[in-house]
Amino acid sequence: MQESRDVPKGGAEVQVYVPYPLREFTRGVATVDLRANDLAEAINEMNRRYPGLAYRILDDQGGLRRFVNVFVNDESVSHRAPREVPLHPGDEVTILPSVAGG
Amino acid sequence: MVDVKKGETLVVVGTRKGLFLFHSRDRKRWSSRGPYFEGNEIRHAILDPSDGKTVYAAATSEHWGPIVARTKDFGGKWTTPHEGPRFSKESGISVTRIWQLQTAEDGGLYAGVEPAGLFRSEDRGESWASDDALNYNSGREKWEPGGGGLCLHTILPYPGDSRRMLVGISAAGIFATNDAGSSWRMYDAGIRYYGKQKLFEKEDLATCVHKMVRDAKDPSIVYQQNHAGMYRRTRGDGAWKIVEKGLPVSKSSGGTFGFPLAAHPHDGQSAYAIPLVGDYNRVMPDGAMAVYRTTNGGKQWLKRTKGLPQSGAWFTVLREGLRTDSNDPAGVYAGTTTGQLYHSRDDGESWHLMADHLPPIQSVETGIVGTS
Repeated sequence: MQESRDVPKGGAEVQVYVPYPLREFTRGVATVDLRANDLAEAINEMNRRYPGLAYRILDDQGGLRRFVNVFVNDESVSHRAPREVPLHPGDEVTILPSVAGG
Repeated sequence: MVDVKKGETLVVVGTRKGLFLFHSRDRKRWSSRGPYFEGNEIRHAILDPSDGKTVYAAATSEHWGPIVARTKDFGGKWTTPHEGPRFSKESGISVTRIWQLQTAEDGGLYAGVEPAGLFRSEDRGESWASDDALNYNSGREKWEPGGGGLCLHTILPYPGDSRRMLVGISAAGIFATNDAGSSWRMYDAGIRYYGKQKLFEKEDLATCVHKMVRDAKDPSIVYQQNHAGMYRRTRGDGAWKIVEKGLPVSKSSGGTFGFPLAAHPHDGQSAYAIPLVGDYNRVMPDGAMAVYRTTNGGKQWLKRTKGLPQSGAWFTVLREGLRTDSNDPAGVYAGTTTGQLYHSRDDGESWHLMADHLPPIQSVETGIVGTS
């Protein structure tokens, strides 16, 4: 399922993939189109549309939670501060749970 | 359709994989609901005694963080807030797990978290305020984690006086407040040093409290299961007193080792414990499950095994795994890490298997279903 609403103005137009466990927050939506200059902006926009989503992704310090992985296209950015991950037009942002737990 | 009826006994069971609810009118035939919170660990869940309807669940996803959700219809619909308790940006630490939930008589809700911290909600878990005096205590850098991490696992309000409270932090120790959390002091004197008979002479850091409960008749009496022994302390006492007669003693810590502790709901001087071999082997001694009860404030503990497995019981009952209900005679419930839930309808004298094949049980709480 893909969200079809218009993206807000400003920033690069990117697409964010939402993993299955987080789709309870996005009402089942799997991919979200939005505009953002960096990953922090993208998460903020996601949270604006789907309140509570940012809490699930970010820890108390604003970094990615320990077992949350984020890729921009094929590059892992999981160990970088979201504000320091620039986004460019056409980027695909993928949020994935780590292969951890049992 | 909610089939839980007013006046029924409700048993709220948190497990490594979800929450289960059991309810019964006679405590002989049980119905179950759940599991709720698929894949989430429920370290603790409670029934709010003020209405007998609201169940709070501390649900932790290892990936997506901890949250306190609630239901007013026994799982028919859950309300999940947008956020859980959070430390400040300046603190440099993040909440990873919620270990303890506790309602306050004035309507508030407390959460004890890992890394150790205390939070309070005035809106049923929608938002949380940090107890800064404790969470950002100047001595915090000296708090050492226990085997389960640095966690605030016990919140013990004082009935009738919401300004007073004890909290337990593994392995920093016991903290007490008389001013609703504006200031805290240590409350640890009398605990033995690990593996020694020497006692902490001062109220000091670094004793490893495992669980505390208040006496049913006199809340100024507190029983404590510690890493290094079983203790009792009454307001005015200068130190904790060792109360281990009749209990097994660990070869490692020098005292009775275990985690869970429960008070009888009506009888003063009466409490229950489930000791383990020791910190080096956290299982039932000899693979035989036993619940110990004192009826004289810890002067003597009596072993109870009727109906409990007496061979091959190589499991643990965790610190929130033992509870009583408020019926008369009291029900006693013990949940194991191998997924059995045992219960007694006669003050712990005899036991029955109530549920089996559950995920590892993290917590057991009880209550009477209300309608308010």
